[in-house]
Amino acid sequence: MGIGDIWNLIAMQPVINVLIVLTHFLFNNFGLAIIALTLIVNGAMFPLTLKQIRASKAMQEMQPKIAELKKKYGKDKEKMAREQMKLYKESGVSPAGCLLPLLIQMPIWIALFQSIMRVLAVIPENLAGLSQYLYSWPVVYSTLPLNNHFLWLNLASGDMFLALLVGGTMWVQQKMVMTPTVDPSQKTQSSLMLWIMPIMFAWLTLSFPSGLALFWVTSNIFRIGLQYWIGGWGGLVKSSPKRDTGRDKKYKKRIAEVEEASTGGADVVPSSAQEEDVSYEESGDKRPDSGGGYRKSPRDSKRKPRKGKSHRSKRG
Amino acid sequence: MRIRNKALPVGKISLLIVLLLVGLLVTGCTGIRGSPEGGSGATIADGTIFLSPSLKQAGGFGCSSPAVQGKLVAVNAETGVQRWEVPLTGAVSSGGFGCSQSSIPVAVYGSPALFEDLVYVAGYNGKVYALNAESGALRWVYPREGNIDSIVGGVAIALDKLYFGCADGNVYALDAATGDLLWEFATEDKIWSTPVADGGTLYVSSFDKKLYALSATDGTEKWEFQAEGAFASTPLVDNGTIYIGTLDRYFYAISAVDGTLKWEFQAEKWFWTRAVAFENTIYVGCYDNKVYALDALSGNKITEFDLESPVRSWGVLVENRVLIATEEGKIYTIDAVNNQLGLFADIAETIYAPLSLSEGVLYVYTQEQNLHALNADTGVRLWVQPVK
Repeated sequence: MGIGDIWNLIAMQPVINVLIVLTHFLFNNFGLAIIALTLIVNGAMFPLTLKQIRASKAMQEMQPKIAELKKKYGKDKEKMAREQMKLYKESGVSPAGCLLPLLIQMPIWIALFQSIMRVLAVIPENLAGLSQYLYSWPVVYSTLPLNNHFLWLNLASGDMFLALLVGGTMWVQQKMVMTPTVDPSQKTQSSLMLWIMPIMFAWLTLSFPSGLALFWVTSNIFRIGLQYWIGGWGGLVKSSPKRDTGRDKKYKKRIAEVEEASTGGADVVPSSAQEEDVSYEESGDKRPDSGGGYRKSPRDSKRKPRKGKSHRSKRG
Repeated sequence: MRIRNKALPVGKISLLIVLLLVGLLVTGCTGIRGSPEGGSGATIADGTIFLSPSLKQAGGFGCSSPAVQGKLVAVNAETGVQRWEVPLTGAVSSGGFGCSQSSIPVAVYGSPALFEDLVYVAGYNGKVYALNAESGALRWVYPREGNIDSIVGGVAIALDKLYFGCADGNVYALDAATGDLLWEFATEDKIWSTPVADGGTLYVSSFDKKLYALSATDGTEKWEFQAEGAFASTPLVDNGTIYIGTLDRYFYAISAVDGTLKWEFQAEKWFWTRAVAFENTIYVGCYDNKVYALDALSGNKITEFDLESPVRSWGVLVENRVLIATEEGKIYTIDAVNNQLGLFADIAETIYAPLSLSEGVLYVYTQEQNLHALNADTGVRLWVQPVK
């Protein structure tokens, strides 16, 4: 059994058959089935998405501090990387927290995308090829082939309005998570994500069946809602009062602590006790000995003995 | 505490992942075709083979651009040498952008049909062409202006009329000589099959899960048969019974007189191909890789043959043998007298198009754009010619 067969078995077949069954139960409406499945998949991945959004948000809030580190250690890349990692560690923010959920979600999105394309089966070659993915459920066979019409859309053809909607919702989503930055490289990356991606996806949407665009729009709207729930409109409005959750407050407080410690100029190295603190905070449990409070100020941390000049004297 | 020396460039990696996804979409690495390929079966008359080649997808990185202009080709049946080819124009714009197909190609799935001095072919672009069989000169095209919806099935000729079904759900009857519309009949969904005319009645199957019997003269409905699944296959009419399979995995025998069900047989996957009848046995290929031999009167399964590949191409009857091809390019022979299976030929190319038989020669057109001529008795290859 090759990789392709395994992929078909564990990803494509379940998604394709569920899509067809959903269509059957949603009044033979494939558009509704796409929306429903997108919401179901988004719902199933909710914890991962939540984790990713929170981690991204925390990372972005650390950007001023990272910019400061860059200013400080710009020439010494190794030192810069070390300090950056240290900052992440002390703030309880894991870069993998942004990436891991994204990596886990990628195959699911690809499976969903491929399934929608397959189930649409507009041309004879694709409908014939669909046969190998079907379970032997009678409902699947009696539902096929699917009706491609939904509202004003032919789900098998591109649609200009839906393309604009894909671009628009993607832009809103990107804008919400953006925070102002002074770092030029960050600025470039941000504007790339803000403008290029929505434009690219809108253009792609025109090239693909609008059934796929429906999936993108639904997904984007879901994530916009989720981001609003977590942090309000974010970068979308200039000064919106953010509705931070308890967990966000923890991230912020921790970042503030680290920033405070760094402004003091100390090379803060957490003790093993502090590392334990981080794990408690991340897991959401209270420390048994602290009544749920944050760790003591990093200023009070034990300083790592250094050879030669101290960091402070370097700055001085 | 150990600190890694390299910080993770999260933003860049995220961007890379997204771009990778976009790249996947753009380069079409999803294995899903966006454009119809077509590829008709061969129709033979007076030593000439008529067929419409498949439109091979152009490979390559980035935007692939399959051909949009189909053609009708006439080939010498003895030698395989091409006599003429005529471009089938009229690709209709679909308004796509970028990598999308900007035109609906003139792919042809149904085998050409012949009547008097004309050869007829229907395109996926929604046009029917009538050409002079001798020279390939265009006589008429329907519709004269614009296009109707996609035509996937072939055309049927009876007396002086031409019939075809369309993805707009309509059955059209045209004057075979002039291309004038005589009548049309609306079904409730797409038609992908070829209508069959028999004794003044036209039998048409549709995606609306119905088989219709229409008056071939004026298109009035005689009866309709309701199935559980959509019809993509073309009916076989034999001895007052219509045999047809559906996408709900059932194969039906229906009375040609009043449309009542005689029997039904369930397979494991859907039926796409037309059946072959020999005396009291019906042979039908299925997407479950099998060919079923069914009793024509009762529907009881006599036997089944596992061909290890789906059967989409129409089989042919050669005296008392049924020749049937699998998608993966093997052609099998079934002795209809004792139901013994044997391998007839292994072409090792993809076969979707119906097999064609003429004067002891079997013609097979493959998706690799080759036309094979095989001795229908021995399976020995007589010639093979690329037809592109």
